[in-house]
Amino acid sequence: MKNQPPRLASRLFEWYCENAAIEDLHGDMEELFYLNLEKMSERKAKLKYWQQVLSLLFSDAIKKRKKKSVYHPYSNTSINLAMIRNYLKVAFRNIYRYRYFSIVNVVGLAIGMSISLLLIGMYSYISSYDDFHTNKENIYRIISTRTEGIEENDYASAPTALADKLKAEYVGIKEIVRINKSLNSEVVLDKINIHLQGYYVDPTFLTVFNFQLAQGNASTVLSKPNSMVIIEKTAQKIFNSTDVIGKTIELTDGAIFEITGVLTNPPINSHFEFEALVSFSTLASSETTSKSITEQWTQYNNQYIYVLLPKDNDPEKLQASLDQISKESYPKQNVTATFHLQPLSDVKLGPDLRNSIGPNWDLSSFIIFGTIALLILLPACFNYTNISIARSLKRSKEIGLRKTLGGVKNQIFLQFITETILITLISLVGAIIIFFFIRAEFQTMLVESSALDLSLTGKTITLFLLFALFTGFFAGVFPALYFAGLNPIQALKSQSATRVLSGLRVRKVLTVFQFALSFGFIISLIVFSRQYKYSLNFDLGFQKENILDVELQGADPSTVKAEFSKIASVQSVSMSSGILGLSSSSTWVHSTDSNDSTEVNQFFADGQYIENTKLKFLSGKNFPDAEWKREQYVVVNEEFLKTQKITAPIDAIGKTFLIDGNELEVIGVLKNFNYTSLRSPIQSFLFRMDPSRFTYANLKVVAANGTIAEIEGAWNKLKNGKKFFARFFDDEVNEAYSFYKVLLKIVGFLGLLALSISLLGLLGMVVYTSETKTKEVSIRKVMGASTSSIIVLLSKDYFKLMLWAAAFALPVTTLLLDEFLSNMQYYHVTINFWDVLLSLIILLIMGLATVGSQTYKTALTNPAETLKCE
Amino acid sequence: MKGYIGEFEELVLLTIASLGEDAYGVTVKEDIEKRCDRNISIGALHSTITRLEEKGYIKSWLGEPTQERGGRRKRYFELSHQGKVELHNMKDLRDELWKLSKARLALAGKMIVGS
Repeated sequence: MKNQPPRLASRLFEWYCENAAIEDLHGDMEELFYLNLEKMSERKAKLKYWQQVLSLLFSDAIKKRKKKSVYHPYSNTSINLAMIRNYLKVAFRNIYRYRYFSIVNVVGLAIGMSISLLLIGMYSYISSYDDFHTNKENIYRIISTRTEGIEENDYASAPTALADKLKAEYVGIKEIVRINKSLNSEVVLDKINIHLQGYYVDPTFLTVFNFQLAQGNASTVLSKPNSMVIIEKTAQKIFNSTDVIGKTIELTDGAIFEITGVLTNPPINSHFEFEALVSFSTLASSETTSKSITEQWTQYNNQYIYVLLPKDNDPEKLQASLDQISKESYPKQNVTATFHLQPLSDVKLGPDLRNSIGPNWDLSSFIIFGTIALLILLPACFNYTNISIARSLKRSKEIGLRKTLGGVKNQIFLQFITETILITLISLVGAIIIFFFIRAEFQTMLVESSALDLSLTGKTITLFLLFALFTGFFAGVFPALYFAGLNPIQALKSQSATRVLSGLRVRKVLTVFQFALSFGFIISLIVFSRQYKYSLNFDLGFQKENILDVELQGADPSTVKAEFSKIASVQSVSMSSGILGLSSSSTWVHSTDSNDSTEVNQFFADGQYIENTKLKFLSGKNFPDAEWKREQYVVVNEEFLKTQKITAPIDAIGKTFLIDGNELEVIGVLKNFNYTSLRSPIQSFLFRMDPSRFTYANLKVVAANGTIAEIEGAWNKLKNGKKFFARFFDDEVNEAYSFYKVLLKIVGFLGLLALSISLLGLLGMVVYTSETKTKEVSIRKVMGASTSSIIVLLSKDYFKLMLWAAAFALPVTTLLLDEFLSNMQYYHVTINFWDVLLSLIILLIMGLATVGSQTYKTALTNPAETLKCE
Repeated sequence: MKGYIGEFEELVLLTIASLGEDAYGVTVKEDIEKRCDRNISIGALHSTITRLEEKGYIKSWLGEPTQERGGRRKRYFELSHQGKVELHNMKDLRDELWKLSKARLALAGKMIVGS
């Protein structure tokens, strides 16, 4: 027996080739082995045999034969139209036959996809931004990174001085466009003033960018100072006509412009947004004289530079000279800036830049939105996966038969993917309907909604379809793989027990994930609403009721005060620089004893203001009532004492500090109160009294009908041509927290979606298990089980799953919420036991109601009816 | 371009043709090894044969089981019509090139008849 080929090699070969047809190869090798035995030693021949086996194992020949062996002798591997038709037919029959599950799947997927459709629609529209410029490939914007002290910020703007320098020194630029967006005023008209917003631009603006002139000559309309090009919509609004060339427009600040051209309404899918363009030369003459060289390079808000490079130009070269200019232009200053070229195509969805020129979408918020959309979509896909696998037994006979008749893995896979895609396509219709309903609401929540058009176009529909295909594939891939891998013999015997078990584990994980997500949304909703209430009811430490804030708009405080004081229902009139509890400015305080300076928040108000808001004095007194020429006193808070290391309030009285060049004396010390928004903690703060800084008159009024009309009448007596703007103090403060309402709406809506998807999935699962367990339930009933014990039996697994979900979701949600809340607001609520308990109760009630409705029905069935079916 | 066959492929095709009815794995391998005095691995040979079969140049069938080789059947090969055409094309191409370059290909000390 020793003259045999090595056994191990032979075995290895057969094992590796599985059931491929390799009989001939094996025989060849054996024949060669015996031939070799005559020529060489046994050892060598065996070694040769091994070599042959290995060379075959790694050869294409075996690979191809193995591939061939996968297919059944009867199978046809080409994709056959008749088969596809068959798949569709079977799919439709199945959808129709198991209507209940189909509806659960379609509704779930439609809800899940709707949010993603918003995202896709939005993305599709935004990606078309500025596509209409013929030069778009060669247009660049110069953006800047401005460093002041340790603070570094990215700006969309760049100093005009840079443009002038580039124009003078750099030759590789075809065109350069300077833009200044500070045109923001009102047009003086007979009756009311109309707001007008626009840009000061170089004449090249109209040649570099493709904005169409309806009237006027592009090369001359913006060449002279004080000429203006207006868009048709605004022309219509101001003059009721678009034939306006030669007319003049007067702004409230006194500037007069001659209209030299009319633009057809610019497309809204542009990052520019303007109603009028004014020649840059209008601005240039005044700008250069009023600002020092340093200021021109360091204060450049609202100034933008766009360059058009020749087709073959290398932007790297320009970038190099920008770096050079940046180095030269900021010698030893505390403000420096570096400049970068940003291609026009990057502007629409670029990094988050400050001082953007128009509608601005930043990538990071898009990513957050994308994540949320995915979090809603995933559970819907999981529902499908779950229900399909759960129902695999029903389909296993069909698959077994298909396989026996020559259906190969790929074909079964294709069949189930086709079925899923069919379902997602039906869901897409539902999703688009939901999309129509939520579209408008969604747009009102966005800041830049005017620059967004979410109507259906060919492009968006194509994207939607692609998305549906993708979703279908994603939701269907797992069940399809599962079905394709079924063993036909077991499948025909309905014996896929082992596989179903592994499927069961996957299903549990998916269900837990869904409920964890819903739990997270419920808990966020509860905590956010608590936070909103907390912010509204927060004791800011001062009175804000019955105080009417009237914007001074440049009117003289003393005349205003005199006029308002005449009204009977106005108890007193005070003056302030803003709205306490919302904002404050900051400045530096130099102690007169030492050289130290510390930052302090300041608010300008008179003594009456402190009295009206009922702030508590710890020591000292209020500002004296008398008017004076020079600022003399400050009223500080407790925190101020801490930063100045003064222990007793009484010690602070009489101390002097140097603030903005004035030596001011502390006259009173106030108990701490929230002078600014709840987002920041209470810090060192002081009240100053400088009438020149007053912008609001604060009227303490007796609540009565007609009071406001009376006050407005008094305002009109001032005859300064300004409109009367007044709000109640408490309304203004409360409104600052109204963004919570939007947040609650969003979280509530998303939570509703997530929860309804989870519940739908749960419903599908329960219906299925109840169906399959009918016989078991009947037998139990016959044996004497009570209805309630059967309900418990059928529901307790789901109850456990929900508890698991809550347990998983709790730590993650707590962490995320804590992080989010503390970032949002310094004074915030923390998640407490009651929030968790309440969320848990809501989740369990919803879940158990869903489960209960089905299990109750099953438990009530008459055993005689179900058992006699056999 | 005419269907391209590589050097080894051509060798295999011609060997199968020369072996006639007795062309199967072992004989093809032994024949090439003897004639060309080179060692070929069985994996490389069968990869080539598989490729040729996919291209449709050869046909194969299984023979009857015999006592040798552990009762395993042999797979016999035969040139298809297309394979023959391809070989002819190759030969025509070669002949043409030879004819054109005969003078330059003359080996020193050896007269080429007919030039």
